[in-house]
Amino acid sequence: MEIIQAASVLAAGLAIGLGAIGPGIGQGTTAGKAIEGIARQPENSGDIKTTMILGMAIMESLAIYALVIALILLYANPYKG
Amino acid sequence: MSEGHGGGHGPELAPLLKEALPFLHSIPDTVIYTWLVMAFIIGVAWLAKKKMQMVPTGWQNIMELTVDGLSKMIEGSLGPKSRKLIPLIATFFIFILCSNYSGIIPTFKPPTGDLNTPVALALIVFFTIHIIGMAERGIFGYWKHFIEPFPFMLPLNIIEEFAKPVSLSLRLFGNVMGEHVVVAVLFMLIPLFVPIPMQMFGLFTGTIQAFVFTILTVAYLSNVMGEHH
Repeated sequence: MEIIQAASVLAAGLAIGLGAIGPGIGQGTTAGKAIEGIARQPENSGDIKTTMILGMAIMESLAIYALVIALILLYANPYKG
Repeated sequence: MSEGHGGGHGPELAPLLKEALPFLHSIPDTVIYTWLVMAFIIGVAWLAKKKMQMVPTGWQNIMELTVDGLSKMIEGSLGPKSRKLIPLIATFFIFILCSNYSGIIPTFKPPTGDLNTPVALALIVFFTIHIIGMAERGIFGYWKHFIEPFPFMLPLNIIEEFAKPVSLSLRLFGNVMGEHVVVAVLFMLIPLFVPIPMQMFGLFTGTIQAFVFTILTVAYLSNVMGEHH
């Protein structure tokens, strides 16, 4: 039983830690490009901002899936018995 | 997931209410919080409607700003045909925003932090997309787009349709719930002042998530409402 708990905690940490890498890189790139776009064409900043938030939200859902998996492992683990 | 929260909570409102009012006993906590949020929204709407004037003041000003901004945004991306959809989409925004903000009140748990509420909202969006799509393009014309551009894309298109409500609901749930858990953990460690910046951040993400839910609904609807793309 203890081995399952230890493995769950470890897996939760790994899930959110590794799962945050990709969206982090992606959102950083997105924000950088959006700033470039706004700096070049400040009159389009509204459109750029909306599109950026939309894209970021879709990326963020990946990190959120990792978070949900981590929370399930911690609080609603089916294997804890 | 309703009882699977991290520790460190203070007293909660719903159990106290249940103790005071025994007829609430069989009702889940989330429903009580949802009713309270609904009561707040209805109250604000009633206050705004009580003394309607040509030149708005006070509550009426706030409501006009919200409704006007939302309907401009929705009509801007869906076109003039979307007037009948504005109440639905604007209600999503207002309800999600108020629910997310309600987490800042001590003893309150945000209704969107329970998986059931976001799933219910996302299912409404799911069925609305298909019904509007069939109404706009005709039943055959709408279902035909599942086998376009090639018939073997059918499984992918079906998976895409089902991924929409899953991602909508899990995104909202994960954000609100994650924020709540982080604040609870901080309260457990250092209860004084330290959780405040995190709660501020929670207000920020709450706004963003309400906005994202609305924008994604609008984007999905504009996919099925537009002509061929």
